[in-house]
Amino acid sequence: MKIPKVWNKKNRVLLRELVKTDFKLRYQGSVLGYLWALIRPLMMFAILYVVFAKLLRFGGDIPHYPVYLLVGTSMWSFFAECTSQGIQSIVLRGDLLRKISFPKYIVVVSATLTAVINMLINLVVIVVFALINGVTPSLSWLLVPLSLLELYVLSLGISFLLGAINVKYRDVTSIWDVLVQAMFYAVPIIYPISMVSASSVLASKIILLNPIAQAIQDIRHNLITAETVTTWNYLNNPIVMVSPIIVEIAILLIAALFFRKKSKFFAEEA
Amino acid sequence: MSGKKIGKRIEMHTDGDVAISVKDLHKSFNLPTEKSWGLKQAIFNRLKGKKGYVEQKVLKGLDFEIKKGEFVGIVGRNGSGKSTLLKILAGVYYPAKGRVTIDGNLVPFIELGVGFNPELTGRENVYMNGALLGFSNQEMDEMYDDIWKFAELEKFQDQKLKNYSSGMQVRLAFSIAIRAKGDILILDEVLAVGDAAFQQKCNDYFASLRDKKQTVVLVTHSMENVTKYCTRAMLLEQGKIIKDGDPKEVATAYIDLWRKNNS
Repeated sequence: MKIPKVWNKKNRVLLRELVKTDFKLRYQGSVLGYLWALIRPLMMFAILYVVFAKLLRFGGDIPHYPVYLLVGTSMWSFFAECTSQGIQSIVLRGDLLRKISFPKYIVVVSATLTAVINMLINLVVIVVFALINGVTPSLSWLLVPLSLLELYVLSLGISFLLGAINVKYRDVTSIWDVLVQAMFYAVPIIYPISMVSASSVLASKIILLNPIAQAIQDIRHNLITAETVTTWNYLNNPIVMVSPIIVEIAILLIAALFFRKKSKFFAEEA
Repeated sequence: MSGKKIGKRIEMHTDGDVAISVKDLHKSFNLPTEKSWGLKQAIFNRLKGKKGYVEQKVLKGLDFEIKKGEFVGIVGRNGSGKSTLLKILAGVYYPAKGRVTIDGNLVPFIELGVGFNPELTGRENVYMNGALLGFSNQEMDEMYDDIWKFAELEKFQDQKLKNYSSGMQVRLAFSIAIRAKGDILILDEVLAVGDAAFQQKCNDYFASLRDKKQTVVLVTHSMENVTKYCTRAMLLEQGKIIKDGDPKEVATAYIDLWRKNNS
């Protein structure tokens, strides 16, 4: 099998232009413009904070709970935005696909990169917020990008796979919307994992096998407090432990192959 | 559709004298029949053994070679398969069967102003469109002023494209397009627009392509253009080449075909 030369200069220029226009168009005509990339996740955080930390008192004895919650909501927003943009990208850029020939993966990558930019802006806010909240910087902060990469690999894999199916069966977009809503509660974002383990240890272990939960807990562990329960310090079987990472890589590989096969017909079907 | 054996499109760069080689090229589309969409109908069709779509054969076995330096016009009535052929040459559609070999760098213009977005400024659109045509940013920077000068729209660079008239948009798109440098140019009816002055510019551009022996494949309905610029022409009818050769003879055959079907 011949591996195509995908990373040439022409494709890079195209990718950059697509990301640039995507980002510009997103906030076109709004008064606050790019600031929305910051405000939206902060608002979501504020709502969840008032409801779950203040009214329902979910935070318990977790140190720096507000930062802990902010990390969870921001990373979840990243995953949700990345996948939903990625899945729709092929259909939304159908006009281009029908008229010129270029590697189709560029469209998906450009759509997800817009989400990455938003996430990086949010990361700056998280760090500032953490410092204000009294979190002490440590060397383990350097491990955070690894978890971000992990989340991106998973999001990209899902985007390729479902994006290719979405070309023919547009129901995928709606199904994914609902699934994302449901999955939000399967990840320890608003509730601490200790709340689950108090009633069922097995359930909490299963929750931690979700790659998203694993990545979010790792970020919390490395960024905020080493007391955070993670897949690595809570599960004991090393093979089970690495399964989230294996799953992510497997999804991306399968998705890439599937996408490559289907992409030949996008121009006819999109 | 997937899993089925499909045709091949190969790109290469050699010193040979053939620019495009097409062998036994077939293409068909599965067009959904009425009401075939939706779950209920899908189950219904499955039970009745119906397919839910009809196979529309658009190209039925084309064989031809285009030599480097030829200016080839492809003519034919609506639905004869011209645009599908062009899109396969351009790599937009995949051949269902057969083999397409492209020797050299191919630049397609299936449409002017691909990727133009009304919400972006003229400047932003120029860079976007340029990227789609394969220009680097450095190349775009160098030709940027010329593009606007040629389009005679310098004053409007930072206006949003939605505030341009459609004629202005076409002029801008055209002045980007003509800067494309490829070994092979693929053009689809891009000259059917604009006022008399703009038409003159288009004509000059085509004359210059002909004079410098650029390899061009042009789809057009204008027999005048075919006889004026092309060194060779092909007449497509119902997915087959029914005449290939001298532009004047092909133009006559096309007009005869049109008369026959109208009498």
